[in-house]
Amino acid sequence: MILLACPNCGPRNASEFRYGGEARPRPDLNAVSPEEWSDYVYMRANLLGVLREWWYHRAGCGLWFIAERHTKTHEVTATYVWTGEHV
Amino acid sequence: MIGLIRQGLSGRHPLRRRWREHELQDRYDVVIVGGGVHGLATAYYLARDHGITNVAVLEKRYIGSGGSGRNTAIIRSNYLTPEGVLFYDESVKLYEELSAELDFNVLFSQRGHLTLAHSDAAVRTMRWRAEVNQIQGVDSRLIWPDEIARLCPHLDLSDRPRYPIVAALYHPPGGIIRHDAVVWGYAAGADERGVHIHQLTEVTGIDVEHGRVSGVRTNRGRIATGTVLNATAGWCTLISDMAGVSLPVTSHPLQACVSEALKPFLDVVVVSGSLHVYVSQSDRGEMVMGAAVDPYQSYSLDATLDFLEGLSGHILELFPGLAPVKVLRQWAGICDMTPDYSPIMGFTPVAGFLVDVGWGTYGFKAGPVSGKRIAELIATNTTPELIRPFRLARFAERALVGEKGAASVGH
Amino acid sequence: MSAETRRATRRLAGSPSQVIDRSRPLTFTWQGRPYTAYEGDTIASALAAAGVETFSRSFKYHRRRGLLCVSGDCPNCLVRAGDEPNVRACRTRVEAGMDVRAQNAWPSLDTDVMSLTQLASRFLPPGFYYKTFTRPRALWPFYEGVLRRAAGLGAVDPDAAPARFDHKVYEHADVLVAGGGPAGMRAALAAAGAGARVLLLEEQDALGGHLRYSGGDVNGQPAHEAARALAAEVRAHPNVTVMLDTLVIGAYDHGWFGAVQGKRLLKVRATAAVVAAGAHEQPLVFANNDLPGIMLASGVARLLHLWGVLPGRRAVVVSANPRGLQLARDLLQAGCAVTVAEMRATPEAALVEALRAGRVELLTGATVLQASGSKRVESVTLTLPGGETRVIPCDLLVLATGYLPANGLLNHAGAKPVWNAALNEFVPAGLRAGMFAAGEINGTHALAPIEREGTLAGLQAARFAGYGGDATENEIARLSAEVAAAQAQRAPWTPAQTLAPEQKKDFVCFCEDVTQADVRMTIEEGYDSMELLKRYSTISMGPCQGKMCNMAAMRLCAHHNRLSIGETGTTTARPPTRPVSLGVLGGRLLEPVRYTPLHDWHRAHGAILMNAGQWQRPEHYGDPLAEVRAVRAAVGLIDVSTLGKLLLEGSQVPDLLERIYTNRWRRLARGRVRYGLMVNEEGVVMDDGVTARLDDDRYYLTATTGGAGAVYEWIEWWLQSGWQLDARVVDVTELYAAMNLAGPYAREVLAAVASDLDLRDETFPYLGVRRGTVAGAPATLMRIGFTGELSYEIHVPAGYGLHVWQALMDAGAQYGIRPFGVEAQRILRLEKGHIIVGQDTDGLTNPFEAGMAWVVKTDKLDFLGRRALLMSDEQGHSKRLVGFTITGGALPEEGNQIVRPGAGPTGLEIIGRITSVRYSPTLDRVIGLCWLPVEMAMPGRTFTVRARGELLSGEVVATPFYDPEEVRLRG
Repeated sequence: MILLACPNCGPRNASEFRYGGEARPRPDLNAVSPEEWSDYVYMRANLLGVLREWWYHRAGCGLWFIAERHTKTHEVTATYVWTGEHV
Repeated sequence: MIGLIRQGLSGRHPLRRRWREHELQDRYDVVIVGGGVHGLATAYYLARDHGITNVAVLEKRYIGSGGSGRNTAIIRSNYLTPEGVLFYDESVKLYEELSAELDFNVLFSQRGHLTLAHSDAAVRTMRWRAEVNQIQGVDSRLIWPDEIARLCPHLDLSDRPRYPIVAALYHPPGGIIRHDAVVWGYAAGADERGVHIHQLTEVTGIDVEHGRVSGVRTNRGRIATGTVLNATAGWCTLISDMAGVSLPVTSHPLQACVSEALKPFLDVVVVSGSLHVYVSQSDRGEMVMGAAVDPYQSYSLDATLDFLEGLSGHILELFPGLAPVKVLRQWAGICDMTPDYSPIMGFTPVAGFLVDVGWGTYGFKAGPVSGKRIAELIATNTTPELIRPFRLARFAERALVGEKGAASVGH
Repeated sequence: MSAETRRATRRLAGSPSQVIDRSRPLTFTWQGRPYTAYEGDTIASALAAAGVETFSRSFKYHRRRGLLCVSGDCPNCLVRAGDEPNVRACRTRVEAGMDVRAQNAWPSLDTDVMSLTQLASRFLPPGFYYKTFTRPRALWPFYEGVLRRAAGLGAVDPDAAPARFDHKVYEHADVLVAGGGPAGMRAALAAAGAGARVLLLEEQDALGGHLRYSGGDVNGQPAHEAARALAAEVRAHPNVTVMLDTLVIGAYDHGWFGAVQGKRLLKVRATAAVVAAGAHEQPLVFANNDLPGIMLASGVARLLHLWGVLPGRRAVVVSANPRGLQLARDLLQAGCAVTVAEMRATPEAALVEALRAGRVELLTGATVLQASGSKRVESVTLTLPGGETRVIPCDLLVLATGYLPANGLLNHAGAKPVWNAALNEFVPAGLRAGMFAAGEINGTHALAPIEREGTLAGLQAARFAGYGGDATENEIARLSAEVAAAQAQRAPWTPAQTLAPEQKKDFVCFCEDVTQADVRMTIEEGYDSMELLKRYSTISMGPCQGKMCNMAAMRLCAHHNRLSIGETGTTTARPPTRPVSLGVLGGRLLEPVRYTPLHDWHRAHGAILMNAGQWQRPEHYGDPLAEVRAVRAAVGLIDVSTLGKLLLEGSQVPDLLERIYTNRWRRLARGRVRYGLMVNEEGVVMDDGVTARLDDDRYYLTATTGGAGAVYEWIEWWLQSGWQLDARVVDVTELYAAMNLAGPYAREVLAAVASDLDLRDETFPYLGVRRGTVAGAPATLMRIGFTGELSYEIHVPAGYGLHVWQALMDAGAQYGIRPFGVEAQRILRLEKGHIIVGQDTDGLTNPFEAGMAWVVKTDKLDFLGRRALLMSDEQGHSKRLVGFTITGGALPEEGNQIVRPGAGPTGLEIIGRITSVRYSPTLDRVIGLCWLPVEMAMPGRTFTVRARGELLSGEVVATPFYDPEEVRLRG
């Protein structure tokens, strides 16, 4: 059971969270070509390494936050609240 | 059989290797990455149907070590979309002939497949599937608790609020198979026809020149080739990345487990989409059980306890009397999930780089048909009609396949 | 047979190491006959005491099998106890009245006809099934039926009363110690001494590990007493919690461990862990090595010292380490005649001397060639140095022939064991950070070094968990050096050679009856890696999961491939470390059923309930068509409490709504309600509902029953991931009961209980929202209507739900009010042509195709899915959702397909499908919604539906079917 540190609540079992997938910037709607939009909607890096991804503390405080997690070892190197523009 | 008796009487078993070891050639006409059922079947049909035998199958570990040896070996064709049903139906028909074709018994046991409906909404989807199946010529129908009880008397058919069993989609030709035997049979058949199977051979790079594949680099040296097929599961994006081809794939572990062997009591394959479980009893007597993919992206093959707890609870929801049955072993495989729960087959933007990937949780079912049709694609340089719906370009063209509803846990 | 209880003919006199209470005898049955045991006995010890030798029949050849390991590793003592199959007799306490039976034998354990299969074993090479019955195909199901009858060991009664054990326990510790032998106890004391909170889990029912039954002395004190003294020290330590009968079954991510204590599942989160799980003693491979009476030394030692059972009178002890010699001494002392075959050239002098003093014959450099016997071992043939053989009669053959580390937990956590050619054992390597191994698992078998390794691992684990300071560091450094030096000096306790020359019936794998020849043939055919060998021969796939066979298989695999064992490698150990029942793992189903505040009323009024996601809702109250007529002609009331309900607050809520819905929201006035549709970034319909503007900065949004949770999380994600809007969302779904009062008399009924509301159309028009008091309860009322009639959706705090519902029912009585359920509502909405998201739409549907272009405003600056919708609009659409009726009035079913002649297998091509269809009592005809190709999607076009195998004729009809001018809705 992955242990994930919610930035609000501290370390909790992964079963308290919903997985939100890879964090990717949403392209500028006015500048984006149809191909780029399709890539944004469908393509994924799916990398083997440290992935920046969204998690949601469903059974807790309701926070959506970013975790940096290795996709093979599951080691979580950072979790933080997102404060920037949309990613 | 006669041969076995002769061998037995003589006390000698003159055995020959079913697939030989070869030096890695510096050139092959076709290089297939991945020694699972898809790669080996493709090699087999390339040789058998198209006379293309200068083929290498590269396998990082040993043949069948990936998804082919980790799935729960359920075969069926009762899919939701007309294109899906036609495709998997051809696979079932190839599987039916496979033991005779390969002279190797793959123990295909068409014992019937039940997908349980626990709600009115599920009944509606099951009927949709049954209707599509029937029109496509596949034996599949909606049945009700009285018939379910006859096929599977030990299911808890009592009325209860959470997961009552209200109906089921019954698919008589569905069943289970000995997955490893399929891998070995294709490997032996391909080897016999001249294909080189290279185990412990890991691809480290793919050379692309002017938008065209020119070679494959491995831990054992470079191979010059104009045609590379990515037939890997779990690592398909990593291989495609080597050729500069992006895929709409995320990799998730899928876990399964097996119980101690018990005297047979379960004749059909039982699946519940709502409970996310599927269970069958093998000819050895083991209960083979699986669930949905793990919720997060991962390349880890480590088992989790939460999977085992959830699965066990859900199995008992269906079969409360099985509480004393013990789980012997659990394992995981990696599933490459696509946005529309359908595979990606055929050409990519890089000439000569082909894919047979994105097989989610349904790859083993399609081994023979994929091999046959991808071989046809390689030999003719044209996409066969049967697999056209699964082309990579469908995402840019917004022509996705609608299997999502039925396939999400549709083992 | 006499009914007299079987006497314990092999029980020795009492001794302090024993765990049985002879003052408390109890009776149980084996194969239907009564036997006596003492409290503290296991099934196995009690039966062995009574002279039972055959416990089971093997899986393939149905050979007799007796006690081998007496530690829960091997398959030989699997029995049925009560209703439970595959119970390990050696690990299960016998209980009074227990009904114990053998498995996999017919007609009896003593005469099993299936044992005849071994006569045909020469015709049953590995992979037999793969090579047979391939033709003709038609006969395969018959053959399979025959094979299937031979499957399985125990039998389960699938119809037995459910026995679930729903008590799961969570524990937290700084340091978890798996294993309560000398290494584990030392580790626990060291970690606790450094200040860490320690949880020590031990599989047996006492601490002490092998010291409890190893015999011999420790510093002049009997070993079992030394074990008790150390155990007392551990138990007395305030930082240590000890749990006995507790097996750690798996090590998972981030210090998560599973354990089973009796019938309870224990889940532990520990910062660090010491694995001191010991080692599995390994048998030798020789002809007939499976005969009853051939036992591992540790198994014999357990019987002897823990339960006072002497399993033979004339023993040959094959020894490769001092424990074999010690056991030979103890057997001698217990009155057994003993011959020792010592595999080593130079055994421990003191032990040899003691044995010689007892006139024990000791043959050094000897190995076992074969055993003989019919029902049990009767003699053993040894190979002596120089090659001569010697036959020695015996009724007990004891194997003290080396170890396989119990690596499972380390391997689950990613460790990769490496071959140590000096020890002839795999030793742990590549341990995950925070995991430490100590004792026999490391290949260390002598007591003092075991304890030192335990102390070191305990300190390391405590340090990892943040305890101890410089002194601890120094101690770790000192002990590390000592341990390293001692490990370099270790003598092997496992022989280099454990395989006799290949013969018949020389079993490598007891679970699956795999012999050396089987392994050789498997490798010759190309299944030459451990994983392929395992899959083809089924070696290590049985109940022992490789604990008895893996090492021998690796040796053979290396031998035939001409590789070293290190190069051959091992298979991956998978959880659980021992089989665990579904009942223990499953526990309680933690998936609640959700009931609305009106549930009891529905049940009391004859509602037929249905599942709607997690909710239970009334499908109808007996007559759904009458419910429809009531709504159309008079008035009806439906419970819609299951709707998702979100409260939105903030100055930028309109911006939020603009972005999450496809239509416009900026100019929604206070007191107004609007329908909204959500699509995802693919442009696929996600959910629909209404949003009401309650106040300047307060809005109330409803979502579908099934979509509620996802919609809330979706909105939250966009808000928290970069839309820096002044908007806050609260999910209030369960705080409110909601009901819809619909029908021509709805206004009159409501007026009777809502005195402070002006319900006239001018003051509370269609698509209006008002706050008011209904039957004394504070309420939010929206004038909307899925049913197409004048209707009010009334939301009140959940606690008032039943009261308000009852008041409306009472007030409506004079108008003929009826409660209506989901089925009537489906008909009513279908008459109005409204879609149900998820039923009429699927995972690819966009709003244009669904006929909802009217609610999509792509000229808005931005909203979720806008780009995709623009693209799909440019691309054009190939299908449409339209209304239809069936000519002739036959009623098709939802899911039926629309077809035309085609080239398919049945001569039909699928061109569309029916998503909703009902008989409409209002219109007296069949109506529905279906998907059709756009070119056919115009009223008047006919098409063919396949229903129940028949072809029906349908015709496209414009929607709404009923009241298209919306006179009734707005009336």
